[in-house]
Amino acid sequence: MTDTSPETAPDPQVAALAAMPFDKALAELQSVVGRLETGGLPLEGSIELYERGVALHEHCARLLKGAELRVQRLVEQTGGALRTVDLSPDDGEVV
Amino acid sequence: MSSASTRAPASTRRGSESVRRPRPDEEPPLTFDEFLARGAVKPPGPPASPSALDRSPHSRPAAQPGPRILAVGDLTRIVRDTLRDAPRLRDLWVEGEVGQVSVSSAGHCYFTMKDERAQLRCMIFRDDRLAIPFEPRTGLRLVAHGRLDVFEPQGTYQLYVDSIQPAGFGDLALRFEALKAQLAAEGLFDAKRKRPLPQWPRTIGIATSLSGAVLQDMRKVLARRWPMARVIVSSCQVQGAGASSSIVAALRRLGRWTDPQSGRATDVVIVARGGGSLEDLWPFNEEAVVRAIAAHPCPVVVGVGHETDVTLAEFAADVRAATPSVAAELAVPSRDDQSAGLRVLGGRLTGSAQRAIADPRRRLDAERRALDGLHPRAYLDAERERIGLLLDRATRAAQGRLEVESGRLARADDRLPMLLSGRLMRARSDLARQVAALSALGPFATLERGYAIVRDGDGRIVRDAARLAPADPLTVRLARGEVDVRVEHVADSRS
Repeated sequence: MTDTSPETAPDPQVAALAAMPFDKALAELQSVVGRLETGGLPLEGSIELYERGVALHEHCARLLKGAELRVQRLVEQTGGALRTVDLSPDDGEVV
Repeated sequence: MSSASTRAPASTRRGSESVRRPRPDEEPPLTFDEFLARGAVKPPGPPASPSALDRSPHSRPAAQPGPRILAVGDLTRIVRDTLRDAPRLRDLWVEGEVGQVSVSSAGHCYFTMKDERAQLRCMIFRDDRLAIPFEPRTGLRLVAHGRLDVFEPQGTYQLYVDSIQPAGFGDLALRFEALKAQLAAEGLFDAKRKRPLPQWPRTIGIATSLSGAVLQDMRKVLARRWPMARVIVSSCQVQGAGASSSIVAALRRLGRWTDPQSGRATDVVIVARGGGSLEDLWPFNEEAVVRAIAAHPCPVVVGVGHETDVTLAEFAADVRAATPSVAAELAVPSRDDQSAGLRVLGGRLTGSAQRAIADPRRRLDAERRALDGLHPRAYLDAERERIGLLLDRATRAAQGRLEVESGRLARADDRLPMLLSGRLMRARSDLARQVAALSALGPFATLERGYAIVRDGDGRIVRDAARLAPADPLTVRLARGEVDVRVEHVADSRS
């Protein structure tokens, strides 16, 4: 909880795109397209925005194509602390 | 049948005629003496309601005293009619444990039902038996519905069963309806309580059993539809004693879990269980489970049993799914849909960027045209045109006058036209000189002489080869037109 979350990091522009979740990247891409479509931006701004949009688009496409479902099991430790343990597709019958 | 005869010798004759097999526990037929003794027990006097044993009490004078002797068939018929007249015996439910079961060659089923105090003969006719979804089995507790009647040839009463249910059915159905009404009155199932599912769930909680195919099925659906998600499984027991508290505990664990890095909780939770009997699914009708679902901090999808199963947990869910796999489908968006949406967005991105860049280019072109208008060449062109027009007018004026005068002059002197034309020639060469002088002011006269202006990629005039490198783009302006070229080789500018 006290850790600084990458999602609340102050610099959104340089926010490591690689770690950006799909929904955030998609939302930013939508806003980029919206601003470009509205127009009225200086040329440099348009080009910069376009390049950001392309990077976001590629990131989203990469996520959609290459993602692999991560399944974990929630384990309660003595004292009540919760921990997650990876659960492979073959796991089962462990109750 | 023959074994029945040996066990109950006194009933040999009717036993051979009957399909009924006498039970070992059946009362042995009375001897004559026993029959008399029993008869003696009955109240003999008139005040003791002889009509109870009377086939037609209204036709007999009540005053007639003494015991009446009845044929066995008459007595049995009286008993039968008495049973048939009792409304509560015509349409009844009875619960008990199944004893022996047999099916006759005709397809009728005979069995006993018993409890600690008594047992009851039951039979199901073939047609009813085939219509009932399950067979009575020894040891099973069940609730049978039917009518009580007497089987006269054997002098036994029995339940003619037309429907059977597993025991507890009535209880459970009543509890289901009572709890449903109570929770509905509290507003737990209200449509306005339902929360929408998140559009982009990053973390999906699942409360289900780790064993069995349900988790695997859901896992496959999620991996196909939305593999970006992270799935957190909180395992629980989904049937039997203790299942409801196990489900509640699993939901509580999911409710208080947050990711240690991001602090995010689950976005949506699925509560799932595969198909089963009413008792198997019962934990999902328990009040604690229903309340835990309604109170869960994030939206809950419930997929329990098959399409036809209905549990109170589903009523409390934010989204009700027919099966666990459907629950998984509903909880996440579809990757295919998103891929298509992303392609559309990519097209809009490129299109809008092209338009955004085309706008400044159009403005640039317009400015360039305005600039061109101010260029010395344009000025010169305009001057040239003006001068040409003047010259034309002058020539026409001169020629007009020439024609007017020519008649007169032709007669006078041949030199005069010559003189005029000589003046004209001088004026023309004067004009040409002026034009040449004007042209010399701009750079384009120089270009006419075969020089060229070379600009670099930024539009700056190139004066020094040392500033260039191979492959630099250049624009060469000629007297007429421009060419874009690239530097092949740069020779030493000092040589």
